[in-house]
Amino acid sequence: MSTIDPVASTAEKAQHALMSKAQAEAPRVRARRTPASWVRDGGLSTLLFLLPMLLVFGAFSWYPIVRTVIMSLQHTNLVQPATWVGFANFSQVIHDPLFPTAVKNTAEFALLALVFGYPIPLLAAVVMSEVRKRRGLYSALAYLPVVIPPVVAVLLWKTFYDASPTGVFNTILGWVGLGPYPWLQSQQTALPSLVLESTWANAGGTVIIYLAALTGVNHELYEAASVDGAGLWNKVWHVTLPQLRGVLLVTMILQIIGTAQVFLEPYLFTSGGPANATLTVLLLIYNYAFGNSLGGDYGAATALSLMLAGFLAVFSLVYLRATRSWSTG
Amino acid sequence: MITFPFRRRAATADGNAQGLVSPADWRRPRVRFGLGSTQTLLLVGLIVIGLGPILWLAKSAITPTQDTITHPLALFPHGVAWSNLSRAWNDVEVGHYFWNTVVIAIGSWLSQIIVATSAGFALSVLRPKYAKYITALLLTTLLVPAIVLLVPLYVEIVHPPLVRHSFIDSYWAIWLPAGASAFNVVLISRFFDNLPREIFEAARIDGCGPFRLFTSIVLPMSRPILGVVSVFALLASWKDFLWPLLVLTDPNKQPLSVRLPTIESQTELGVFLAAMFISCLVPIVGFLIFQRSFLRGSGLGGAIKG
Amino acid sequence: MKSKGRAMKSIRMGMTVAAVSLLAVSAGSISRAATSSSPTVTISVASLIPGSTKAATQQFANQVTQFEKANPSIKVQSVEYQWTGPTFAAKLAAGTLPTVFTVPFTDARTLGDNGQLADLTAEVKALPYYSKYNPAVIAEGTDSKGQIVAVPTAAYAQALHYNRKLFVAAGLNPNKPPTTWAQVESDAKQIATKTGQAGYAEMGKDDNTAGWILTTLVYSLGGRMETGIGTKATATVDNPQTVAALNMLKKMRWTDNSMGSNFSYGWSDINQAFAAGQVGMYVSGSDVYTNLVQASNIDPSIYGLAPIPLAANKNAGVLGGGTLAAVRPDANPATAAAAVKWIDYYYEQPLINKAQAIRNARTLTASKQPVGVPALPVFDKTQYDLANTWIKPYINVPLNQMKPFSTGIFAQKLIPEPEASTQSVYHSLDAVVEAVLTDQNANIPSLLQQAQSSAQSAIRQGT
Repeated sequence: MSTIDPVASTAEKAQHALMSKAQAEAPRVRARRTPASWVRDGGLSTLLFLLPMLLVFGAFSWYPIVRTVIMSLQHTNLVQPATWVGFANFSQVIHDPLFPTAVKNTAEFALLALVFGYPIPLLAAVVMSEVRKRRGLYSALAYLPVVIPPVVAVLLWKTFYDASPTGVFNTILGWVGLGPYPWLQSQQTALPSLVLESTWANAGGTVIIYLAALTGVNHELYEAASVDGAGLWNKVWHVTLPQLRGVLLVTMILQIIGTAQVFLEPYLFTSGGPANATLTVLLLIYNYAFGNSLGGDYGAATALSLMLAGFLAVFSLVYLRATRSWSTG
Repeated sequence: MITFPFRRRAATADGNAQGLVSPADWRRPRVRFGLGSTQTLLLVGLIVIGLGPILWLAKSAITPTQDTITHPLALFPHGVAWSNLSRAWNDVEVGHYFWNTVVIAIGSWLSQIIVATSAGFALSVLRPKYAKYITALLLTTLLVPAIVLLVPLYVEIVHPPLVRHSFIDSYWAIWLPAGASAFNVVLISRFFDNLPREIFEAARIDGCGPFRLFTSIVLPMSRPILGVVSVFALLASWKDFLWPLLVLTDPNKQPLSVRLPTIESQTELGVFLAAMFISCLVPIVGFLIFQRSFLRGSGLGGAIKG
Repeated sequence: MKSKGRAMKSIRMGMTVAAVSLLAVSAGSISRAATSSSPTVTISVASLIPGSTKAATQQFANQVTQFEKANPSIKVQSVEYQWTGPTFAAKLAAGTLPTVFTVPFTDARTLGDNGQLADLTAEVKALPYYSKYNPAVIAEGTDSKGQIVAVPTAAYAQALHYNRKLFVAAGLNPNKPPTTWAQVESDAKQIATKTGQAGYAEMGKDDNTAGWILTTLVYSLGGRMETGIGTKATATVDNPQTVAALNMLKKMRWTDNSMGSNFSYGWSDINQAFAAGQVGMYVSGSDVYTNLVQASNIDPSIYGLAPIPLAANKNAGVLGGGTLAAVRPDANPATAAAAVKWIDYYYEQPLINKAQAIRNARTLTASKQPVGVPALPVFDKTQYDLANTWIKPYINVPLNQMKPFSTGIFAQKLIPEPEASTQSVYHSLDAVVEAVLTDQNANIPSLLQQAQSSAQSAIRQGT
């Protein structure tokens, strides 16, 4: 077969295509579909192309989703055969005294992460968008923490958070006369410490997204606003933010969904401590499944996973509905 | 609300696309000073906050442990401890675990590319009649958070339904599930949707079968989206912690992300920090070299102008 | 014809190949008969904690080589291993434990009852020294059906580890460690004031170690965490001695400020901090000196070992614990036999056989690993003392710095860990310890009430 040059004579080929399409659309007797004709028509090769996806998704996505539902209704520990227990797992989870703690901590984490990590990248992006020289340097610096492997970031900040007076942060704060703080060793400051590191490690990505969206804002809108006599702040408030609405709303919901599933920071920094002050829903799920040295309670773990997924689904729907009017028109 | 027919930015006379602040504004001294100093402040802030921790890590990697503990911000009060680096390399074997990370990343990337391109091609170019059912399934998968899969996927790896032995400690347990990314399939399908149909028709007329179409026409045209998917795939694999933690219990197979926390309390602080620093080097250097692709991949060209 | 010729050729080829292979097989079997006629069994064994020094890893490899030389039909693969509450369960479920692995006294019986450990009764009873085992210790590895599912390899008692150097710097006599908890408190205060380091540190990590050390304190005051056995046991974690222990910690933490600034130490971290000279005193198993050397390269001159102070209460005693070696339940008889041979060689022989004790000591000293760390007898005291005399020339740990413990421990009453759902009971207390150490206004009674109910429900469920 001759090599096909996609660029050359495209027009000719397109012409042919249109002609053959016209011919095909002429009424004709419907051919009977046999397996042979299916193969001939390319059905088999299509299926072959779909095979990797179907196998991988089937085995590692769809089947596990079904299994989660099943396991949440069973008592399993992988040693003895599974027994059906109905909604007992869900009941057990809800009545676990650690459940409200985990929910509260996760909500607090998500909220704090929004407070720290949502407006600051936006402000930074707005300032950065007006940089005329060396904007690349700004972007690179902002994005650098994102590139650091998350485990390294957490372990590094763990050293920073050493609560003794000679810990890194305590030394720096000591220079300005602020007393040594307990950071991860106190139930009040542990969760905010986690949020701080999480913001550091992730804000750069958000800055880049905002920056990109900002460069897409039509400059004529700014011109028109200037003509109307708007100052800098007014322009930001009345032109920039509304134009960025879509991006802002999407990043907010994505951030909420992401922080609702936070696991790495509580696991590596504090193992959920001190006294469960940093226990999140994901960490509770992990503890149910893998925390007991005699075997895990997979029923409780899957039940809680489903509850979290259900909550996030409902939340997303409510969010989309509530913000629909806001993001269009 | 003011709307305008054109959405593209036109460059202004001085070559800079106009934004929030017009060139006229810039000429006003108050604006120039105010915005200029804010920008300088931001730059200083970015250096201290973004670069600072990494510089500290670099310094501490070659500082004796006792100095790091007692005077963490001093600059080499008792000299430099290059041995931290060599011990991190030899005793902690950072190189070995880094290599594991690379192998895992490459396998996951390949798995994602193969699954997403083949599926996207079938759904978007070949367009079988049942495509809409599959797409619906994919979209529902997108809505399911990853946590829902964790426990059953783990159980499945431990007790696979058809095979007799577990896939724990096998890299396939990471590579194969990595391919199940509905996001990738949707992304690539959308991209293929936007490719000119006439080219496919023309190729078909030339007698090009679907495989040839895939390899000779569609894939070469897909470089931009493959680049984006690749960046996402590599970053995701790099960040992956919980799944490799669960599935790779054999220390020899673990990536850095799993190994480092495991040995933290058994390793001297200076050596540990050196190991952490070494494990940062490749991502940082890679980022500096491939900045444009990184930033383009995660949200686009406007970020790197200038 | 060509095809026939080719057929002939291939037949001839086939016969030649067959003849050659017959010769090879017979030659092989002749040589094999000369060595042994049993096929090779491969077992994987738990070796050292992840992150151990190269020297430690080397000595283990030397031991493996010696074993393989003595047992040519067994091949041994070393697997890094550390038992921790959270990670063990995952490995158990995944079936990725090595053939031979270790478990603490707390878990062995339940695991055996659940069918998760191989039945080793026949092989263990066949060991020549079986009758010499300390009955309490061998009972820890015997399940409720009387089957031996794990072999005791080490027994330890909780002890007070102290930093002699910090004692001197604080003006305390390093040869006179505290003998009452009141003295611990005052010594801790003195160390903290004079040296700025933590005078007394307590494990506070959420991985059951916090509850384990609290239980140790409570035992030393005369309290108990449980009464009864099995799923019918009653949790008593909110007993008066627990309250007393927590109040003592509260005083040291908030009034005396003698506990430093890190309250989330786990078993390994606290060892690391101690070796780095940041901790004056802490409670842990009497055998941690090995880890202090292997992981943190401790300066031997700073180490001191004392018995836990006991209250003047007839119930006061020292929490004892130990380690057992177990075998995977899916091991076939040949593998199980090989596994027990390894257990015998690596863990038991050095305790009971003079030649092996000396060989083991030599291997350890060659790699500068500690020999002679005080322990509790797995057999009986006479045997323990005898074994110590065998290895006396090789002892390289500062024994005289450990004398307070080695002389004092045998006068103390040894109490086994809570029997039912031990790890879960410890876990229920983790949050209590952490709360007391991080919140000055922690409500101890209400915290203990929560711990009591979660401990009781774990016991009832047998988890």
